[in-house]
Amino acid sequence: MQTDLREMKTSGLMKMHDLDESDLVMVRKYGTIISPKLEEYAVLFYEWIAELPEYQVLFSNPEVMGRARSEQINYWRSFFNARVDDNYVQERRKIGEVHARVGLSLPSYFAAMNVSFIIFTKKLYDGGLYSEEYSSAISALTKLMHFDITIVVETYSRLINERISKQSKALMEMSTPVTQIWQDILMLPVVGIIDSKRAQDIMMTILSRIGETRAKVFIMDISGVAVVDSAVANHLFKITKSTGLMGCVSLISGISPAIAQTIVNLGINVDEVNSTATLRDALEQAFKIIGRTVT
Amino acid sequence: MDANLDSPSERFDINNEDDVRGAVMLSYSEIMSRFNDAGLATQIATCISELAMNIVKYAQYGELYIHYQSNYSIEIIAEDRGPGIANIEQAMQDHFSSKGTLGLGLPGVKRMVDEFEIQSQINHGTRIRVKKWINQY
Ligand SMILES: Nc1ncnc2c1ncn2[C@@H]1O[C@H](COP(=O)(O)OP(=O)(O)O)[C@@H](O)[C@H]1O
Ligand SMILES: [Mg+2]
Repeated sequence: MQTDLREMKTSGLMKMHDLDESDLVMVRKYGTIISPKLEEYAVLFYEWIAELPEYQVLFSNPEVMGRARSEQINYWRSFFNARVDDNYVQERRKIGEVHARVGLSLPSYFAAMNVSFIIFTKKLYDGGLYSEEYSSAISALTKLMHFDITIVVETYSRLINERISKQSKALMEMSTPVTQIWQDILMLPVVGIIDSKRAQDIMMTILSRIGETRAKVFIMDISGVAVVDSAVANHLFKITKSTGLMGCVSLISGISPAIAQTIVNLGINVDEVNSTATLRDALEQAFKIIGRTVT
Repeated sequence: MDANLDSPSERFDINNEDDVRGAVMLSYSEIMSRFNDAGLATQIATCISELAMNIVKYAQYGELYIHYQSNYSIEIIAEDRGPGIANIEQAMQDHFSSKGTLGLGLPGVKRMVDEFEIQSQINHGTRIRVKKWINQY
């Protein structure tokens, strides 16, 4: 099942947090006590923050610090205004984005939300509500804070995941280093996992290099590949066939015992593929093909 | 969340080829660190790759569970709510493919594991459960 918080409407998100209009009324009421004291809040909050090593790194610059401080006051002002609409949700997403971008960790964010809650409910509270009202205000504050946290965390973790998969993709794309190791011989060591996109990259790269160099042999060493499933095997066949059309023989080297075993288990027909256990064997074969002997 | 630390389950959302790659890489390194057996890691990771790729190819998205049972077996469950398989017997044959690919995924997985169970209903989805027993020396 695909559950994407981004596709949820604001009303759905509110329902998810058992948050309704009466809660928002309570948050606003509590806000009449807190909003005039937000400067005071910031002083208390930044006393706490000064102790955290992470924040010291991030806020070494006083200008950055000043901007963060005023953004934070604005954030709580909007929180206590409690006008929860699409715009409100969008502002929270922005916070998640900023935190992900500057690398502020989720534990620190949680701790900061917690300390803010304590400042609002213990240090800045003036006893101005009846006890029943106070407890429903606390419950409403908690729910709205969790609502905000859900959105921030969702955005944050999605962006971090995107970043990780971009990094691993970038790594894979960088690693198609086809080199001409000898007149007429090209070689490519493949490391990691071959998916269809990467197989496509390899195919395009090698074909254009064959065009440039008129190489007669292409050695693809897959000793750094952990898994060859039927789709990968199919890609490898296509690569060897297409180089063959350009008059270049493909040799696949570095087939580990584990890979040889799974290829047999899968029932893949390897008749048309030239493969060797080691790169050395492939090189010997390559030299034979180009008519050279090495001793 | 799994209460029994000896037999943790891992769940992967499978929505695209990147997700498949993630599940394959993580399971490979998990098995290597548990059993230090490249043959086993390669086989299980290959099964995961076949089952998860089928989800992406035929059902768009689904889920994959890997269950390590106290070091004596590894269970994989691949589940989707896709179109289902009309003729299971045919799908299990070598070289049958409705997409023109090799048609060796399902029969190949079956040859690599000790238990293989497939449930499928047209328009409701497919659930494949496989288990590999670990030989401890
Ligand atoms: N999760 C699935 N949902 C629907 N159909 C499936 C699924 N997995 C496999 N199939 C069917 O079984 C056939 C055989 O699958 P497989 O052996 O993996 O070969 P291939 O993926 O190359 O076609 C597929 O062509 C498809 O028709
Ligand atoms: Mg398949």
